[in-house]
Amino acid sequence: MSSERYVVMHRTRYRYAWPVTLSRQLLHLTPRKTPRQRTQAHRIDIDPPPVERESRSDYFGNAIEQLTIAQTHDTLEVFSHAIVDVGAAECPQTAVSPPWEHVRDRLRQVGTAPLLEPCQFVYTSPHVEPLMALARYARLDFHRGRPMLDATLALMRRIHRDFEFDPEATTVSTPLETLLREKRGVCQDLAHFMIGCLRSLGLPARYVSGYLLTEPPPGQPRLIGADASHAWVSVFCPGQGWLDVDPTNCVQPGKQHITLAWGRDFSDVTPMRGVILGGGEHTVDVSVTVLPEHEAGTAELLRKATQPLERE
Amino acid sequence: MSDRLLEHYPLTPGRYDEMLSAPGKLRPHWLSLFDTVARANPAQMQERLESVRRQIRENGVTYNVYADPRGVERPWELDLLPLVIPPDEWAGIEAAIAQRAELLNRILLDIYGPQHLLNEGLLPPALVFGHSGFLRPCHGIRVPGDRHLHLYAADLARSPDGRWWVLADRTQAPSGAGYSLENRLVISRVFSEQFRDMRVQHLASFFATLRDTLDQHAPEGDGPPLTVLLTPGPYNETYFEHAYLARYLGFPLVEGSDLLVRDGKVWLKNLSGLRRVHAILRRLDDDFCDPLELRADSALGVPGLLDAARRGTVLIANALGSNLLESGALLGFLPGLCERLLGEPLAMPSLATWWCGEEAALDDAISRLDNLVIKPAFPQLRIDSVFGADLDRKARAALIARMRARPHHYVAQELIQLSQTPVWDAQRTRPLAARAVGLRVFACASPDGYAVMPGGLARVASERDVRVIAMQRGGASKDTWVLTHGAVNSFSLLRRTVTASELVRAGSNLSSRIVENLFWFGRYCERCDNEARMLRAAIALHIEQDDIDDHPLSGLCRRVGLLPAEPAPASGDALRSAALDASAPGSLAADLHRLSHVAFSLRERLSLDNWRVVSRLNEESARSHARESGEILEHLDRCVRDMMTLSGFTLDGMTRDQGWRFLSIGRRIERLQFLCNMLRHALDSGPDVAPDWLLELADSAITYRSRYMTRPLWLPVLDLLICDETNPRSVAYQALGLTDYVARLNAQFGTLDGILLSDAVADLLSLRADSDLHTGSTHLADVLDRLASAAYSLSEQLGVRFFSHADSAWRNDSGDMA
Repeated sequence: MSSERYVVMHRTRYRYAWPVTLSRQLLHLTPRKTPRQRTQAHRIDIDPPPVERESRSDYFGNAIEQLTIAQTHDTLEVFSHAIVDVGAAECPQTAVSPPWEHVRDRLRQVGTAPLLEPCQFVYTSPHVEPLMALARYARLDFHRGRPMLDATLALMRRIHRDFEFDPEATTVSTPLETLLREKRGVCQDLAHFMIGCLRSLGLPARYVSGYLLTEPPPGQPRLIGADASHAWVSVFCPGQGWLDVDPTNCVQPGKQHITLAWGRDFSDVTPMRGVILGGGEHTVDVSVTVLPEHEAGTAELLRKATQPLERE
Repeated sequence: MSDRLLEHYPLTPGRYDEMLSAPGKLRPHWLSLFDTVARANPAQMQERLESVRRQIRENGVTYNVYADPRGVERPWELDLLPLVIPPDEWAGIEAAIAQRAELLNRILLDIYGPQHLLNEGLLPPALVFGHSGFLRPCHGIRVPGDRHLHLYAADLARSPDGRWWVLADRTQAPSGAGYSLENRLVISRVFSEQFRDMRVQHLASFFATLRDTLDQHAPEGDGPPLTVLLTPGPYNETYFEHAYLARYLGFPLVEGSDLLVRDGKVWLKNLSGLRRVHAILRRLDDDFCDPLELRADSALGVPGLLDAARRGTVLIANALGSNLLESGALLGFLPGLCERLLGEPLAMPSLATWWCGEEAALDDAISRLDNLVIKPAFPQLRIDSVFGADLDRKARAALIARMRARPHHYVAQELIQLSQTPVWDAQRTRPLAARAVGLRVFACASPDGYAVMPGGLARVASERDVRVIAMQRGGASKDTWVLTHGAVNSFSLLRRTVTASELVRAGSNLSSRIVENLFWFGRYCERCDNEARMLRAAIALHIEQDDIDDHPLSGLCRRVGLLPAEPAPASGDALRSAALDASAPGSLAADLHRLSHVAFSLRERLSLDNWRVVSRLNEESARSHARESGEILEHLDRCVRDMMTLSGFTLDGMTRDQGWRFLSIGRRIERLQFLCNMLRHALDSGPDVAPDWLLELADSAITYRSRYMTRPLWLPVLDLLICDETNPRSVAYQALGLTDYVARLNAQFGTLDGILLSDAVADLLSLRADSDLHTGSTHLADVLDRLASAAYSLSEQLGVRFFSHADSAWRNDSGDMA
């Protein structure tokens, strides 16, 4: 299987108005191993350095980094650096997938040998309430008896068509009702919306957080830190497993999507989640750069450019 | 008499009666108690009622109905007559509850462990994965002693045929055991002879078992074992019970902010440093316990607590995630699970409940809606329970549509005709009345399975609604008397004697949160006093002369933030708002509100009188519509007077322990800062305006007049307010007092840096009346400035050293915790 090698640099910098005396953070910043993705190298630099640091797996099998910083600070910088190989997606047999109602009923079946793993992703989660109104929207594509994956791709296309990409329109906690009404938002909103549609029909859908390789316009140089964290959706179909779909870009993720972690929604895989003592108001500044390996020379320069800040 | 008593006591067809087996025929276990009641004359019964009320009032037993900070709390409702349960019947209940607790514990072990029950299809995945009480971060945590449940409660009801049924399980942080205990203490006193003669089982050994099991399963290390009771705080509806149980079991009552996780272990912050916590009996809901891994918006939890549980360094009772079993949807699956896990049939049935997530059950529930209650399947869903029979056509159709859209969110429960029991309702001419009753029973983990409390919290419905029993809906509670054939175990946890070696004197184990609140209580009392005096003087001045902007008093009010900065004029409106508008940040009203807030969180330590003064003042200020200067002045007078009363309480009514010392330090820091500010401002304003106003603000006019018999002159005024060590409102008096406190704290705890203060005090003491005590003295101004900043620095240091423990929390890495 041919694959592409990438260098990923993800830097998060918090600046606090008042000194922070104690900070505990949970990081979901380690690329996940998947059938089509391998991590060659990965490192997270933290400044100021933590007094405690531990790696473990979360409930969904994502790698999680847990740290405590006890040094008084007013800037916190977390710099994740990875080299990842990504293969192309396998082409799913969308037309021969089972009718979507069969999938729904199979999951509702109580009795022996339940499909436990996909069952994790059928119900309400903190950011996704499977509203009746979402089911009505989804049914425009989920006609009776339509093959599950066929309908899913149609839904993806509909959402892509109906929604306007608008970073100003939403926050992390914009409810799905608002999205349904306004139809504006960013990748995270589109992913939550599509997950809500699928779950409202009783179908399993999970939230995938990761990165996307963005190509600069022809003839222009790649911009540093211009990329962003990305999010898309994965749906489950018995016999075929999980299939990724990206409603923001209307594609089935392949070589250009790098997977970090998955969960029921954003709240399960927040890249950085923490509790601090002190701090007051803060600003956060995130920059992500994804580079194909053949531009690695540039990568070396970039790494220098994005060295951890000098202590202020 | 007995016949007359029963004359108006109604038997209800289709309802079991706890006292009568047939009209006029008493059940045997009721004979003795009924006889006592029947023979008593009205005065005797009235006396018993009075005694119940008095005890409840004196013990401060309350139940917060709307959890309103301004004290909308209701005295606990307790009926005079207990619910009586005969020995044989109790044996059945006891065995069934012990079995059920064991079963539920096993289910939790499985779901938070290997999940065989899901894999084998004995439990539908929706009941776990669709329940927001399933805490994913808790999966895989090994709980000490394999116990998720340490304290469990079940709500029981009796059907017309006399059988008991379980209506609901309480697996997270069951409330009511403490109220049961309190009910027992009260009722056993008013019926003391019957209590003894009828051989009623005592409750104490149950609580001793709970305490011992926690001790036994708790991890060890870093000093003697410590169990704390974690409460969400005084706003919680059952806060009284938390405080009561903590005292009874001998556990410190703590809030989340009292605890700290360090090195993966839990520590209690108290005055002398950090103390390792080995077990936590919690009354805080699962998802609020750790803002790092659970609800991020929880301000009540302890960041890192879940990780400490994961590392096995602390026992949390009940284990995090146990809310999962508080689900009506589970009830229907329990018989099968009991067979599978315990290999025996479920001893006490649950009231027939169907989870609508199963298609057949949904259709059936919809077809029989009139005979069912529709309830949320999971407690987190914001769905009210609905009696199908209460719905009109439209509401019914809407409910059905919602159920079809999300069947797994609903359960349908059979209606039960609750049994009835007599209550003593003194409002009625025939006081013996019948009310629907339900019983909450409790079990705790013990070395051999589960021990069941021989008793429980009986609750009766209000007169109007016989279907719903809820304290929130105006029901009342009852003591529950479980009779025994055998001997009564009279073990008691209450101390009967105290030996000389057990005498408790003021200790240093006060929690940091309490000390911090006492400190701020002192500061806010003093601040409100100062503000009231400033405003009183300013308003009086404003009555005399319309424009007071040029007077140094206005400048001082601006300097301390009471009045808005210039150019806004010190108008009548501005003064009114500074006194009464709580939304103006620096106003007196805002500080009264803060004072009341601090006092509320100190309710366990303040006397009722103290608390009443504070809450009345705050309410008066919030309600006041005073517009006239005269009315405002009256309010300010009251305020000054009340602050003096509070100060009298602290001087006269509190033991001189560390808490008192911190309260006093708070007062002194505040007063010193104020005096320095005031005098500094007077120096800045120059000698033109006579210093009368200084004497008034410092409450020293009388002293001055008695000494000097002249109009106020600068030299004697400055001497009295700055240098006179005998005047409690002088800088010297406060600064020396503060120095003394710092020395005492340092003798006990070390580490406070008092150099700034002692240097400034030395200069203060060497001020010379002839050369320094005049408004143009830059040396005097400098001394005052340094004293003010020393007071500020001290306040900051106290915060770091004693309240937040930010210094010792991490920087002390030796592992040697004081």
